[in-house]
Amino acid sequence: MTMEADSRAKKPNPKPKPKPKPGPNSTNTKKKSEFEYCKVCNRNHNEGQRHKYFPSHTKSLSNFLSRFQNKITDIRFFLKNPSVLRPEHASRNRFWCVFCDFDVDELGSSFVCNNAINHLASVDHFKKLKHFIWKYGGAMDRVDAFRISEADVAKWEKNCKSLKSEATSVGEGSQELPLGPPNDIHNELNFENMNNFEKNTIHHLNSNISNGVMPLQYHTNECQISGSGFLGVANSGTNLHVVTSSLPADTCSTMSLWNSNYAMVNQNSPWNGTNCLGNVYLSGGMYQVYQDERVESRDINSQGLQNIAQVSSTVPKEAGGNVNSGAPPPWLGSIAQKEGGGNVHSGAPPPWLEATGGDKLELIPVLNSFISSNKSGKSKLNPKRVGAAWAEKRKMEMEMEKRGEIVKRDCDPNWLPNFGRVWQSGSRKESRKEFEIEKQKQPNIQCQSEMPVTVQPYISKRMRRDTTAYSGDPYVNK
Amino acid sequence: MSYLLETLTKKKEIDTIIRDTIDKVLVLRFGRSSDSLCLQLDDTLAKSARELSKFGTVAMVDIDSEDVQVYVNYFDITLIPSTIFFFNAQHIKMDSGTADHTKWVGAFHRKQDFIDVVEAIFRGAMKGKLIVNCPLPPERIPKYQLLYKDV
Repeated sequence: MTMEADSRAKKPNPKPKPKPKPGPNSTNTKKKSEFEYCKVCNRNHNEGQRHKYFPSHTKSLSNFLSRFQNKITDIRFFLKNPSVLRPEHASRNRFWCVFCDFDVDELGSSFVCNNAINHLASVDHFKKLKHFIWKYGGAMDRVDAFRISEADVAKWEKNCKSLKSEATSVGEGSQELPLGPPNDIHNELNFENMNNFEKNTIHHLNSNISNGVMPLQYHTNECQISGSGFLGVANSGTNLHVVTSSLPADTCSTMSLWNSNYAMVNQNSPWNGTNCLGNVYLSGGMYQVYQDERVESRDINSQGLQNIAQVSSTVPKEAGGNVNSGAPPPWLGSIAQKEGGGNVHSGAPPPWLEATGGDKLELIPVLNSFISSNKSGKSKLNPKRVGAAWAEKRKMEMEMEKRGEIVKRDCDPNWLPNFGRVWQSGSRKESRKEFEIEKQKQPNIQCQSEMPVTVQPYISKRMRRDTTAYSGDPYVNK
Repeated sequence: MSYLLETLTKKKEIDTIIRDTIDKVLVLRFGRSSDSLCLQLDDTLAKSARELSKFGTVAMVDIDSEDVQVYVNYFDITLIPSTIFFFNAQHIKMDSGTADHTKWVGAFHRKQDFIDVVEAIFRGAMKGKLIVNCPLPPERIPKYQLLYKDV
C-alpha cells in the first residue's frame, strides 16, 4: 500500500523537470526548463540557447528581417531624397523599430522620416541591434543593412537644409507633395485614362452624326473602362458604332449574342487591335448580311479589314433574296456556306473559329500571356541549377563566336574540369590543386626512379668465383 | 557499336566537349573498345543515346591514348569501364552505395537502368545538386573493390 501511495504521490507533478542528460558538454543543465519568449517566432520556448539554430526559427527570422528590411528601404529612399513633411501626412510615417521595441513617430518633424532616420543612425539603436543579432541569430554581416551610417545622415541633413532654404525662398507654393512614387504614378495614370476617354467619346459622336443614331450604350463598365483603349484603334472605332447602329430592333437574340461577343473580346484584352476587332466585326458583318437593305454596311465592309474580305465576297450572293421577296432566310438556306451560313440557332460554329482554323484568334490574347509565362519558366531554366553561371557565360561566348566577334580561342591545355577526386576530402578546388602538385612531383619521381636501374647489382666475390649462372642476386633490391 | 558515338582521343577534344555541352548531362565513358565489359556498356550507351539526346550527350574516351592519361590520373580511373557525368562543366557525383561516388564503374544491366541514372543526374543537377542518389536497386549495381595504392 505504501508503494502505491508513493507512486500516486509521484504522479501529480505538474511541471516535471527533465533530467539533465549527461552529455559531453553539459555545463548548463539549469537553463533547459526556463521559458523564454522569442520575438521572432512569437512564442515561448524552453530550448534556451539552442533555439536560435532551429530551422523554424531561422525561417521566421528571415521573414521577420526581410519585412523590416522593406521598411528600411523605404526610409533609405527618403534618406536620399529628403522631402518636406506635411503635418497631415505625419501620422502615416510612424515607424516601429523591432530591435529597440521603440515606436518612432514623426510629430513635429519637418522632413519625412526625420525621426526615423535619426533613430536608425543612433548609437543606442546600434547597440540594441547587435544584441538582437546575438540573441536571435541572423548574420552579423548584415548589421549595416539595419542602420544608417553617420556619413549618410550628414548628407541627408545637408540636403534637408538646402531644401528648407529653397522652400523658404520660393514660398512654398507647390502643392505637390511627392509622397513616394506610387501615388504619383496612380495620379498620372488616372489623368491619362480620363483624357483618352474624353477624346474617344468625342470621336464617336462626330462619326455618328451622319447616321443620326446614337451608339448603343451596351454593357456595363467593361465597355467604358476598356473602351478608351479599344476604341482608340483608328478607323475601326467608327465602324464599330456604325455597325451596331444598323442592327434592327427585332433581332434581340442576335443582339445579345453580339453583346456577349463584344464582352468576351473585351475581357480577353482589347489591346490586340485589329485582330479582336476583326472578330467582332466579322460577326457584325454576318448580321449585316441578313439585313440586306443596308447598303451602307456593305461599303463599310469593304473598308479594308482583311478578315472582312470573305464576308464582302458573299454579300452579293445573299443580296438576291430578301424578306420581302419571300426567299428563305440565308441561315436556313445554304448552311454549308461558312461565313454567312451558320447561326447561333442553327448551331453553326462562330465564323471566327472556322475562318482561322482553330481558336487562334480568340484565344491568342489569353494564350499569349499564358505562353509567355510558360516560356519564361523554361527559358529561365533554373537559375539554381548546377553550373548555371558557366552555362550562361558559355552561351554568350558561343553566340559571339558565331557572330565572329570573338575568335575561338582554344582552351588552355592545362584546363581541368571541376572534379572531386576519389581519395581526397575537401573542396573540389583543393582537389585540383592537389592534382597540380602531384603533376609537378611526378616528373621528379620519374627521374629518381631511373637511378636505381643504373645501380649495378652487388655481386659478392663468392658469387663471382662461381661460374654457375645466377640469375638473381639476393642483394638486389627491387 | 561504339562507332555510333564519338570517341575522343585527345585532351583538347574532351575539354571542348565538356565545355560545350550546355544544360545537358555529359556522359563520358572511359574504356577500351576491346574489352568485353566495355563493349557491353558501349552497346547500352549507343542504344540509349538517341533517347537521351534532349537532355544528355554520350561520348567515349579511349584510355589507351597518351594524351588522355592526364585525365586518367585526375579522375582516378583504375577500373574500366568507368563512366563520369558532367553537367555544365561541373562534375556530378552519384551515390550508388559503392566506394567511389565520382564515377560509375562497370556496365549497366539494362538500357532502362542507364536512362534512369542519367535522368536522376539531370534532375539533381537542375535543382543545383552536385551529388545525387542512385535510383537503381543494389542488385543491379555492379560491385567492385577499390584499391588504394595497391593496398
